[in-house]
Amino acid sequence: MESLSDASRQALYLLFTGDRELWVVIGISFTVSLRAVIFATPLALACAFALAYLRFPGRRLLISLFNTALSVPAVVVGLTLYMLLSRAGPLGDWRLLFTQEAMIIGQILLCFPILVAMSHSALQASDRRVWETALTLGATPLRALLTLIHETRFGLIAALIAGFGRIIAEVGSSMMVGGNILNYTRNIPTAIALETSKGSFAQGIALGLVLLLLALSLNLLLTLLQGRGEVAA
Amino acid sequence: MNGADPTWLRLEGVSFRRGGRTILGNLSIDFAQHELTLLTGHNGSGKTTLLRILAGLLQPDSCTLELNGSRPRAGWRHCRQLLRSHSCYLHQQPYLFDATVFDNIAYGLRRRGVPAGRIRPQVEAALATTRLEHLAQRHCQQLSGGEKQRVAMVRAWVLRPRLLLLDEPVANMDKPSRRQCYELLNRMREDDIAVLLTSHDPQQGDLEITRHLHLYRGEMSRKELHTADNDQPEDEVIQP
Repeated sequence: MESLSDASRQALYLLFTGDRELWVVIGISFTVSLRAVIFATPLALACAFALAYLRFPGRRLLISLFNTALSVPAVVVGLTLYMLLSRAGPLGDWRLLFTQEAMIIGQILLCFPILVAMSHSALQASDRRVWETALTLGATPLRALLTLIHETRFGLIAALIAGFGRIIAEVGSSMMVGGNILNYTRNIPTAIALETSKGSFAQGIALGLVLLLLALSLNLLLTLLQGRGEVAA
Repeated sequence: MNGADPTWLRLEGVSFRRGGRTILGNLSIDFAQHELTLLTGHNGSGKTTLLRILAGLLQPDSCTLELNGSRPRAGWRHCRQLLRSHSCYLHQQPYLFDATVFDNIAYGLRRRGVPAGRIRPQVEAALATTRLEHLAQRHCQQLSGGEKQRVAMVRAWVLRPRLLLLDEPVANMDKPSRRQCYELLNRMREDDIAVLLTSHDPQQGDLEITRHLHLYRGEMSRKELHTADNDQPEDEVIQP
């Protein structure tokens, strides 16, 4: 077994010499997770807005359910989706098992509760006067919603970053419904699991470094936004 | 649209209850052009609730609307739309969007479909009239409390709503700001804007008030103008 420093050095070498296999895996991770977040966001925002601004029976129960869904393990989502999408399952005819689409569906299910819960708390903390001022100045409800999103963008972007962070690093669902197929459904987390089981720690660590770099850039972005989102005097 | 038959908006049977407490009990209110109405009442007497209903932001338990002498079809959604298109409401502490003063004032004009080419001259003229042009490119977070209030007032005025609803507009202002604010409010009458402002203080200095209404325990009464310091409603009760 190679030492940790040897593995790290080799990992950096692979990363910066543009090792094709490595970069394909990174590309799949990003495209799948970005698509999942893009698909999940509009509906999640609508849900968060409804929970924050509308009064309807069962609202509190729904908030609790979304908060509970935050702690559902990725592997449980993967298993459920696997049973639905497998040939014998109710959605077997869709032939989606072991495709990127299946991974995207799994990741949408995983990031949706985070997006809703965090956007909801951002909107709830936002000033009701934003919504009312927009309406009284003549905005349509849709336009007022856009204004509200603009005014609470700091909290909402934090929600996006958290949602993206959850799915870019999850292994359970991607492994189950994606199948870890090279050049097609193998993403960073499933590749790390595979490389580790094979004993190729260098590849595993290289991938781990990419994930860390990603987390770092996300956090830098958040800090940058925090600088802009000053508290009004 | 002239002062001869002035009443253009009437709301009847406005009632609002929350948590078993009657906040507004079946009252009526009407508005004429050029009218500057002062609405007084204690804290919690329902002044803000009434203003928010008139602005179409809060649904009353019951209410009948009459606009320009005709009754629009029933249903709060429709009434709300009419009220919103004719009125503009200013919060006690107005909210200014995270943008420059110029963009804040242009916001309503853009939303109400004013052609892009006419927005800049209108905003600049409004800022010049109110002697706020030096603030045009200032970010709203950098304004003082009084400046914020005046910018919000200009933002509403520039829309020329038929009814302007102001919730305690001068509560946090010093004397010079207050005087400038009164000047603008008096001016609004010339622009055919009916103004309703609330205060717990019946003395409003230089403000050319044409009507004084008082809310007490969810009921509204009309008071003599310039009779200040009586808290209890004792004049003609408009609605039980």
